[in-house]
Amino acid sequence: MENQEGAAAVGDGVLDFSRLSLSTLNVDSISDERKRDTRLLHLNYNRLASLPSSVSLFFNLEFLDISNNGLSAICEGITRLSKLKTLIAKNNRLDEFSLPKEFGCLPLEVLNFSGNRFEEIPLQCVKLPRLQSLSIGGNRLKSIPAEIENLTSLEMLYLGGNLISAIPPEVANLPYLSYLVLCDNRIQSVPPQLTRLHSLRSLSLHNNLLTYLPREILSLVHLQELSLRGNPLVVRFVKEMTYDPPSLLELAGRTIKSRNIPYYPQDLPSNLLRYLDLASKCPNPKCAGVYFDSCVRHIKFVDFCGKYRLPLMHYLCSPECTSPCSSNPQSDAESEDENSVPTDRLQRVLLG
Amino acid sequence: MEQTEVVKPETLEDLIKILHKIFESDCINVEEVQNIMEAYESNPNEWMKYAMFDQYRYTRNLVDEGNGKFNLMILCWGEGHGSSIHDHTDSHCFMKLLQGQLKETLFEWPEGKSQGDMVQKSQRILQENKVAYINDSIGLHRVENVSHTEGAVSLHLYSPPFDTCQTFDQRTGHKNRVKMTFWSKYGDRTPFETTVSQENN
Repeated sequence: MENQEGAAAVGDGVLDFSRLSLSTLNVDSISDERKRDTRLLHLNYNRLASLPSSVSLFFNLEFLDISNNGLSAICEGITRLSKLKTLIAKNNRLDEFSLPKEFGCLPLEVLNFSGNRFEEIPLQCVKLPRLQSLSIGGNRLKSIPAEIENLTSLEMLYLGGNLISAIPPEVANLPYLSYLVLCDNRIQSVPPQLTRLHSLRSLSLHNNLLTYLPREILSLVHLQELSLRGNPLVVRFVKEMTYDPPSLLELAGRTIKSRNIPYYPQDLPSNLLRYLDLASKCPNPKCAGVYFDSCVRHIKFVDFCGKYRLPLMHYLCSPECTSPCSSNPQSDAESEDENSVPTDRLQRVLLG
Repeated sequence: MEQTEVVKPETLEDLIKILHKIFESDCINVEEVQNIMEAYESNPNEWMKYAMFDQYRYTRNLVDEGNGKFNLMILCWGEGHGSSIHDHTDSHCFMKLLQGQLKETLFEWPEGKSQGDMVQKSQRILQENKVAYINDSIGLHRVENVSHTEGAVSLHLYSPPFDTCQTFDQRTGHKNRVKMTFWSKYGDRTPFETTVSQENN
């Protein structure tokens, strides 16, 4: 049925052409006035195989919904929509080759490509300077590009239901990010840099491959929701702590640092000076020790808001360096003062 | 027990009227309530005003207080939103899908002091217009919208009404009592209530 103008809802700059079995968009019957006044165009649930360039005739368009069609490409014409703020294109057949070259020039604030066939986030998408909300859930993404940090206005990033195995630390460079969804992926670890996401309010990590979390996660002050179900999180205390004995170089370095033995650039070759600069302080505040390469990976169970035991990973200088509060370091019933988080810090932990 | 004719509720208002009548008696026929709720064919125009989605988590929107006998509410689940494992504080719980789909996972109550993974009993995907029923003697459940592209809307009836429940950690069986709050009541947003929510999802 091609009765378009009559079928459309009238008024308020809204043109509703959804669910009309359209395979093309014939705009001849639409008045010039109507074309000029339309702000919202609904073309979802039709049979469009490609986005017709006639859409660019709605030159004041701000909102376009082309979800649930058979789209495998988005035409060049869309880049002429100089006022387009919202593009919803869920459930189509789009991939990273479907977008026109100048797509990155659109003033888009909301972009939704969920339910398509993207294997990569296309570079045009990470060029959108005003983008606040990006959804590419339910696709085939294998990774997140480092260029994601260019989306400096981004507040919402939905990448659930993909094949992502790692989170690039560049995600931490998004200063306004408040909602980050990475559920149903293949993520094995969370980069500690995410602690810089001061605006993060909700983090969805359920159904991944996490065995622990970095202890830095406790610094996410505004985090109110955290979902972790369906991860192989370590429950019982890891009794077997593998430890490579330190080299002589390391032992010498440790002695110099922990006893504050003075040294001067003229005394040592530059490679040793560099090595001494790499000393890390043992995270146990009661231990004055340092370590270079040889450290013990220790999974600490932190009482999160007095409710759960979250395994957090940190490094100790040696297996003898135990937590200050426990008499029995092999117990998983401990709760460390240094690590306990005030209840108001994290109100809702979406574990379950 | 009286046999009531199954009258098909034509609208949501109709359904609410019929529910008020059914719940006048103190004795609840679970099947009867389930059939009545299932017979109502979801019409978004009738419930849209209660369906307020939140970006970050699912919302509970009160529709009717059932003369104190039950609470009827609409829950809105954004993509990926899910609940914690929870009980129903000795009440009946009916859940009808108004839009989209929800996954329900049933769990056994954790036994005594045992500290291990909670035992999963079964899992199913509820389709539009279907009604699920649960109470504490059946077990515990987690409800999730597993779609990454569509939101889901469900209609819940709890009798008697309750405002606290227990949430459970799937890995250890640890439980915690939480207060539940409403995002909106009768179509009006109720923000101050929500900010003190401790619900654990």
